[in-house]
Amino acid sequence: MNERLVSKAAWGNLVLIFLLSAAGGMRAQENKNPYPNMAPVAQYRMDRNAEIAMARTAAPESISKDAGVMVLGQKNYETAVESKNGFVCLVGRSWLAPFGTAEFWNPKNRSPECLNPQAVQSMLPYTLKTAGMVLAGFSQTQIHDGIKAAVDSKELGAPVVGSLIYMMSKEGYLTDKVPHNLDHLMYDLPSMDGAAWGANLPGVPIFFRRLDPAPITEFYVVMTEWSDGTPVEAATQAASPSHTHSN
Amino acid sequence: MNRKRLKTILWSNLMLLAVLGVRWQSQAQDAQVENKTYTHIAPIEQYLMADRDTEIALARSGAPESISRDAEILVLGPHGYETAVKGKSGFVCLVERSWMAPFDDPEFLNPDQRLPLCMNRPAAQTHLPLTFKTTELAFAGMSKTQISDSIKAAFDKKELPLPAPGSICYMMSKQQFFSRRVGNATPHLMFWLPQQDHVDWGADSPDSPLDVHQYSPQPVTEFSIDVSKWSDGTPAPKD
Repeated sequence: MNERLVSKAAWGNLVLIFLLSAAGGMRAQENKNPYPNMAPVAQYRMDRNAEIAMARTAAPESISKDAGVMVLGQKNYETAVESKNGFVCLVGRSWLAPFGTAEFWNPKNRSPECLNPQAVQSMLPYTLKTAGMVLAGFSQTQIHDGIKAAVDSKELGAPVVGSLIYMMSKEGYLTDKVPHNLDHLMYDLPSMDGAAWGANLPGVPIFFRRLDPAPITEFYVVMTEWSDGTPVEAATQAASPSHTHSN
Repeated sequence: MNRKRLKTILWSNLMLLAVLGVRWQSQAQDAQVENKTYTHIAPIEQYLMADRDTEIALARSGAPESISRDAEILVLGPHGYETAVKGKSGFVCLVERSWMAPFDDPEFLNPDQRLPLCMNRPAAQTHLPLTFKTTELAFAGMSKTQISDSIKAAFDKKELPLPAPGSICYMMSKQQFFSRRVGNATPHLMFWLPQQDHVDWGADSPDSPLDVHQYSPQPVTEFSIDVSKWSDGTPAPKD
């Protein structure tokens, strides 16, 4: 194996540390938080064509070339390209991080992802619900409560079996923590103990985060090649998910 | 040319032909072994492991120690799988044999195959009945076709369950052995789902990180993803 390739165990420990440090309640440590509030909305926007291109980098070309693409519009994500294969790709923003984490409002976050048809059905609604509230000016607390209410009313629910999200973009900026990115696949399942997969245990190439208030557990499998087929190198892979899908 | 020199040349040529003949015969035998297919089970003893503790250790090597140390361990006895170690975690580890290979796999019923794997609770609840049933049919001396037909009938009658949500199986043993043709393959994770379109996972295209196997007659889709290390933490060779 190329010595420059990331040791999955090493990165796995970093992911675990990040996940544990990111787990927290609604009360953010504001005195240490560089992003206590939403920045001017323009800082979260991108050039439309650049956003389309970046969204597609989340998955190998064989998937993304026929995927639908959504871009962040004035009030929510909008369809820029219709899907031919059931996949939808978009660039997530920081508000998909867990509630209460320091990077919830980080305007630099760009999280390209491609959702498979099952994830489009059950996970994309969380992304759209959250983005709509953000762009309407809701506070983080209001967004959290809005998601919880949607779950309680069954407007939003558990993942459909087979929900899978590709996050293999070399261009992702998922966190301010160097080196800012993590190449991985995410499997979304109805809320469950990650121990059921052996996740987060030493030597296991799978990590998990149990979300709240969404009834979802996300499992992350760390990859060793980016979507373009190039190997992940030590300098470009790291602990990341300051990003998840539905909090 | 004098007679002595001619005799030397002739003997040299005969020796060369003899060596080449042995080599060609050996290669032909290797090809026969590698291309051999199996329509009926060999004597059961060929599928058993002589030492129970060795099989337990081999089964555990299917997953990292942090998982396998608390797993239930099954070993293959003359009448089928039996519990050798009771588990605490819900994971089950065992060494599968070649009758669990796809029916179109040339290694089906190959007595040399040893496949350690560790499956989580949902996978154990829904995959092990298939393992036990297939083992029972193989031990009964059924042909590959008969085994396939019986498995199909069992699924049709809902006597065998479909994979439960969240079914995952670890195959990360450095000691796994598929065949002389395939060798140890690579460490990987497997996800089992009720049969579905693999296109929905973006699997099996040239640049996809996911492989897929659509089983038949079992209505099961298996996605697999290679990982970079064996269960003991050592790096695996890249394909």
